[in-house]
Amino acid sequence: MQVYLPIAELSMNLFFLVGIGGAVGFLSGLFGVGGGFLLTPLLIFSGVPASVAVASVTGQVVAASTSGALSYYRRGQIDLHMSLYLVLSGILGAFGGVATFQVLRAAGQLDLVISLGFLLLLGFVGTLMLIESGRAILKRRAGIVVREKLPNQHNWFHGLPWRVRFKKSRLYISVIPVLVLGVAIGFVGSLLGIGGGFILVPALVYILRMPATMVIGTSLLQVVAMMAATTILHAVQSQSVDILLAFCLMVGGTIGAQFGASAGKYLRGEQLRALLAILVLAVAIRFGLTLVIAPTDAFSTAVIGAAGVI
Amino acid sequence: MVRLLLALLLALPALPAMAERLVTQVSQDSVSITSSFAGQTLTLFGTIEPDPGATQPLTGPYHVVVTITGPLQNRIARRKTNVFGIWLNTSQVEFVNFPSFYQVLSDARLSEITNPITLAEKSIPLLKQPEARQGESWYDALVFGPQLVRLMQDNGMFRLNESGVTFRSNTFYFAQVALPSDAPPGSYLAHTYLFRDGELIADRSEGFSVRTIGFERFLGQASRQQPLLYGLVCVMLALFTGWLGGVVFRR
Repeated sequence: MQVYLPIAELSMNLFFLVGIGGAVGFLSGLFGVGGGFLLTPLLIFSGVPASVAVASVTGQVVAASTSGALSYYRRGQIDLHMSLYLVLSGILGAFGGVATFQVLRAAGQLDLVISLGFLLLLGFVGTLMLIESGRAILKRRAGIVVREKLPNQHNWFHGLPWRVRFKKSRLYISVIPVLVLGVAIGFVGSLLGIGGGFILVPALVYILRMPATMVIGTSLLQVVAMMAATTILHAVQSQSVDILLAFCLMVGGTIGAQFGASAGKYLRGEQLRALLAILVLAVAIRFGLTLVIAPTDAFSTAVIGAAGVI
Repeated sequence: MVRLLLALLLALPALPAMAERLVTQVSQDSVSITSSFAGQTLTLFGTIEPDPGATQPLTGPYHVVVTITGPLQNRIARRKTNVFGIWLNTSQVEFVNFPSFYQVLSDARLSEITNPITLAEKSIPLLKQPEARQGESWYDALVFGPQLVRLMQDNGMFRLNESGVTFRSNTFYFAQVALPSDAPPGSYLAHTYLFRDGELIADRSEGFSVRTIGFERFLGQASRQQPLLYGLVCVMLALFTGWLGGVVFRR
């Protein structure tokens, strides 16, 4: 069944859209990430213009993260104080990201930056996660009890000025690393159409030393707020948010996420992280190949605006 | 006798051009893009009629060429080159007033219908050099122009179909053109040319429009005219869907 997407100006199969939304939603429920890093490339590969794909996926990520964020909120596992700083700085970063998006699209380098950005980011995060989870699996095999990192180990940047007490996370640290993190995630997220959950979670754990119970909920709330702001920014600035495309993906994604979350109970944490790392690396390699392999057609074309009517 | 001959000689060149006229019709004035739009086939048909007052009988064989031009766009063509092992867009040329859709239908090979000069005058062939934006280097425009036309042929928007026009009788023809599902909305122009013995003897143009209607039209307009509201609604929809999903599936 074909459905016409008014902003992308093409029609796609409804079941295909709900299907990939569902499949990615399943994985995002399984791993606790937004899934934007999978969905955006999938849409681009299936013919949706890159700008529409990036802008519309932000809407889908909001939906996918909302139900998770709500359940963590009910359990009191969100540090709202920390979120306030992250979200405000994140929105600042998102303004920069969307503006950069516009400049790059005009210069014809958007696809390159998206590919390169995904390659570097996913390659880096994927490798780190694979190493970390591999070690954890090996240690468990060897029978070593893995101890959680203590939350109150401080780094030099925790002692910078403007220290703030985050009661829920039991942290008394400078807001500078928090704000820098927020701006960076907002910038990258709006530029690449990803929520940034898979960067934020390790960053909160390893950089800010946030307790594990607070990390997922806070990260999810950050993703919801960031992606909501980015959706609006994209709608205003590039007008490339396709609400029908986003809705098809949302429906699939929300359903898939529920099944993914229940499937996740059968796997241990480090196994999940290893699988996610492999997935992330696979996407990174796919993007790397498009940069290195000679394109079948060196020429490409794009519309840059309507001319006069005939 | 001499006078009569002179009169005949004077009248002769004018007669063939005045003898026929085209009556054409597009099967639809407007093509509506609805939610289930998956492309549509339009029929263009017409008859060749004697001009009022013409005394000569209609003598064939006639040839018909139909061109369909979609809304004009400004387009950019880019070329990737390998820079330090990475393929990136390094050069680009902007073209203005470039048709988003262009199809040529005829009942025989264009080369058999008429000479290339006549075709070029009416810009019938697909390989007409596109118009580059002022300030672009003419050499780049010369390289990128044909490539742009080729790209448009590859994605199906430009097409030459030399068996696209069918004659049902000596004077009645029809042509079918398939609008793809990603046909750009806007106004289209169908131009029909009538040839006999390589001469263009009549032509007619007719317009039709392709536009989104109902909900799709509303969404497209909303995204352009009320972008902030559109974005807010999008976020609301996402939050609601996420919340609903959580409620429905809660165990």
